[in-house]
Amino acid sequence: MNINKDLALYFIFYLIFISNISFSQQINDEVKDILISTFGKSSTIKFTKYEIEKNAATKIEKQVKQKFYNSAVYYYQIINNDKINGYALLDNVYGKSLPITFLVLFDNAGNIISSQIVKYREQYGGSVKNPQWNEQFIGKNYSSSFEVGKEINSISGATISVNSVTKGIQKLTLLIKEIIENGE
Amino acid sequence: MKIIILSIIGIMLINLSLFSQDFDFAEPQVNIGGYGELHYNKQKLGNQETKTMLDFHRFVLFFGYNWNEKWSLKSEIELEHNYVYSGQGELELEQAYVNYHYADYFGFQAGVILPSIGLINENHEPPLFFGVERPDYHNRIIPTTWFGSGAAVYGEYFGFSYKVTILEGLNSDKFTASSGIRGGRQKGYKPEADALLYNARINFINFEGLRFGASYTYNDAKGDSTNIPVSITEFHAKYEANNIYSVFEIGNIGYKNSNIQTSFGYYFDLGYDVASLVNWDVDLIPFIRYSDTNTASSVNDNLNDNELYHFKEFMVGLSFKPISQIVFKVDYSQRIREFDKQITYLFNLGLGYMF
Repeated sequence: MNINKDLALYFIFYLIFISNISFSQQINDEVKDILISTFGKSSTIKFTKYEIEKNAATKIEKQVKQKFYNSAVYYYQIINNDKINGYALLDNVYGKSLPITFLVLFDNAGNIISSQIVKYREQYGGSVKNPQWNEQFIGKNYSSSFEVGKEINSISGATISVNSVTKGIQKLTLLIKEIIENGE
Repeated sequence: MKIIILSIIGIMLINLSLFSQDFDFAEPQVNIGGYGELHYNKQKLGNQETKTMLDFHRFVLFFGYNWNEKWSLKSEIELEHNYVYSGQGELELEQAYVNYHYADYFGFQAGVILPSIGLINENHEPPLFFGVERPDYHNRIIPTTWFGSGAAVYGEYFGFSYKVTILEGLNSDKFTASSGIRGGRQKGYKPEADALLYNARINFINFEGLRFGASYTYNDAKGDSTNIPVSITEFHAKYEANNIYSVFEIGNIGYKNSNIQTSFGYYFDLGYDVASLVNWDVDLIPFIRYSDTNTASSVNDNLNDNELYHFKEFMVGLSFKPISQIVFKVDYSQRIREFDKQITYLFNLGLGYMF
């Protein structure tokens, strides 16, 4: 049985060793990589920290039944040949206790091109990172329904994350509509 | 050997914290959560009523604190059966650990933790499983909630998730033919640490709606005079998509130097969200379950233990979730004892919540 004990310890040792030498990508770099791979290398990316107007925030929060994580979101405009080609918003929602950082890409009419989890910080519920699950949001916009268990499948073992990320994405579809309408 | 490795682990953990992140969104924060469940249980043995109870079975408070996005404390305190009096009812510290989340592929935790065995031990909130009471399998074969002092590493990589746990062991003197290893849990109460328990689990999580995996657990369980080595092998799968809900779990416990040689069980759930048919924005899920559990599936002596503790159960039920974190449940089942084909009829109502 001592062999088993040692094996378990060696395994832990190995995992920690691997994690030490692996490279950790910064959120900012990762977002830029995603934007460039979607919109092309010739795109110019304009980044601002976007302060959400209070009334708009309240309206969206009431409709979606989830508060914004912060008074501002991270806002990216993707510009090709002096024309806005698309948008991206980076925001957070709470999982069970820690924030989940996610990015939603929109076309210039506010329809979702893609969504992804940029950073997940909890032991459980990480399956919301699954690209297939995120594909369900493609094409949705402010007028779409985002019911978990109906339009959006739940994920076993990730119920809380699924609910909060889904609401988070819905909030951003409503916010991008405001942003586009205000011509910002 | 152990000491050398553990000190290297320590040094490496200190190294890890030197990495810093931009866009650091996580601020120190206290989190509170919880779950609870009220049960109405009615039981008949043949024509005779054997139990009628209205029980607030579990009240659980979750308390957590994040120092930053990597270091956090998670804890869970549970009151069972509402009142604690001379061995009746239970007050338990079911989880209390410091968690270090380095990245998705690696995290570490130590304290009072949960081994990763089966679907329910780590995810046991009532809206997450069918039936008012937890499945028989998770009582008789896998003794949920199984918690104890220990440490674990976990992570996700390429659609696999793993967790390796080292935990206080089991007390082999408390193993019985009628409830398997259940009584052997030390529950973190001044636990013997002579013979630790080793548990490893792997899941495949990259198929949409489907999660499946397996775990292996070994403990050279110590008693006053004899040791009973036990090994638990189990497989679990859960499918939740397109309004279909299905679960299958199967597990075996092998014992050495013991009258009981194996405990074995499995169950299968199938449900369908009928609210989806009429576009109602709630979940209304009728389900069926078949369950077969035997805590003494093979024994050394010539007694009838392997039939006495063999139960087959057929259940029909309904889960109604007005919102995803509140559930009303009803179920009806027949449990047949293999030995004499004696039938117990069970009817349960329940209300559960989580937040």
